Amino acid sequence: MDEQDIRLRNLTYGLFVRLGRAPTAAEVAGELGRSRVEVLEAWRRLHDAHALVLEQGGDSIRMANPFSAVPTAYRVEADGRWWYANCAWDAFGICAALGADGRVECSCPDCGAPVAVEVRDERADQDDLVFHTLVPARRWWDDIVFT
Amino acid sequence: MNLFRSGEHVDFWLGGRHPGATIPVRKLSELAFAWWCDRVEPDWRPHTREQNQAILDGVGLTGDFWRLA
Repeated sequence: MDEQDIRLRNLTYGLFVRLGRAPTAAEVAGELGRSRVEVLEAWRRLHDAHALVLEQGGDSIRMANPFSAVPTAYRVEADGRWWYANCAWDAFGICAALGADGRVECSCPDCGAPVAVEVRDERADQDDLVFHTLVPARRWWDDIVFT
Repeated sequence: MNLFRSGEHVDFWLGGRHPGATIPVRKLSELAFAWWCDRVEPDWRPHTREQNQAILDGVGLTGDFWRLA
């Protein structure tokens, strides 16, 4: 990841927040004054460096962690918008990234009951819920979509 | 990486599978704010593995399961 790729990554994330969705390669290219192909090449390098995750085929963003570009079971209200998170950890991460209070909504994977957590001043408003991760840390990126 | 109503619900959901790690939601929130707080900053820089490990260690997530390498 060189300095140009980091700059492009940061602009991609900035656009994600501004638009409330994943930007297209053409939109990033337009902001940077570079070609769409150059953006796709940079996104591929960033994908390989785990700085974002591309869809299969490599021409659109699947994850700009903690944000998800596709609908998921984890919805987050923060900073005046609803977002999708990749997982429970990322759901709180969206509040963290935006520096905002928020609300996380999902359902218990066991029983399907609705779960809602308010985040205020970086703290969850409940203490009975628990987070479970099956995959050990060293294997998180073996299959990031499963993780 | 899921949120459950309780540890009992995790056990039912696992259905005999080998468990991973379970932490309280407030610990998760603490971890998330430490891990993700800089992600949309315009001058974000990549974290090193050592920096990320220090975040896990700093919120008390230690032991082999939480080792990044």
